[in-house]
Amino acid sequence: MNRRKVRKFKAFWAWQDEKEEAWLRSMSQQGLHLTEPLAPIVYSFLEGEPRDLVYRLDYVQRMSGDERGRYLQLFQDSGWEHLGANGGWQYFRKPVEAGDAPEIFTDPESKVEKYKGLLAYMFILLPFFVMLVSRIGSRPPAYRALDVVIFILFLLYMYAFLRIAHRVRQLRRL
Amino acid sequence: MAKPSSPYRYLPLTEATYYILLALDEPRHGYAVMQTVAEISQGTVEVGPGTLYGAFSKLEKEGLIVKIKEDDRRKTYGLSPQGEEVLAEQVRRLGIMERVGARWRARRQQARS
Repeated sequence: MNRRKVRKFKAFWAWQDEKEEAWLRSMSQQGLHLTEPLAPIVYSFLEGEPRDLVYRLDYVQRMSGDERGRYLQLFQDSGWEHLGANGGWQYFRKPVEAGDAPEIFTDPESKVEKYKGLLAYMFILLPFFVMLVSRIGSRPPAYRALDVVIFILFLLYMYAFLRIAHRVRQLRRL
Repeated sequence: MAKPSSPYRYLPLTEATYYILLALDEPRHGYAVMQTVAEISQGTVEVGPGTLYGAFSKLEKEGLIVKIKEDDRRKTYGLSPQGEEVLAEQVRRLGIMERVGARWRARRQQARS
């Protein structure tokens, strides 16, 4: 069979990881399986037999080479295929057995830890944003468009922060 | 090295943490712990790799487990004396919960018959 490579463009925000997982699963059910490499917004698929494959995303930033090897080994030991990473997001895949969609996080407490890691990383960007936003209006009029872009990015950043913090609160109530 | 503290601050353990500590009664690496938890919990608790990886880091930081062996592929952990103390206290509390629960069940059955 001639296997075709298919490229799709789709944007998911940081708080939509579960939506992204569901989308990738539905693509596999249609016979389009995600391949490496992964770039933001760009998804590369290989055409094949339709299969029910579950995709799960973890968020891990900054890990030493050895530690990363042991982290990936644990997923491999338990039957997960690592497809690659994209800005800290780790993509894993596993076939569905006996109708149960497998999870990499099996209780709300550990899901909270994943999102707390994401929030902590986003927090690092806060001084950077505060600095950029504080300079809005102080540039020559020709740079007005740049001010608008910075302000929109800042709003998005704040919105992402609130959405993820809300998810943590929801999970804590479980 | 975590400073010694009362076991109470770690209690109650989540169901997953409880079984992970029980599984580490003998030194085990991550996947072996996942298999042992599924087995000793009689299939009631499953621990995914994301959950287990996070639990190992957290429990090591808290000083409840200690690294016993490390190679380039896997880390093997075991219970620390502090971990044993926490687990023993949790088991004692679960025993109390189980006994009062059994008494309640018996009273309820009596009232119904």
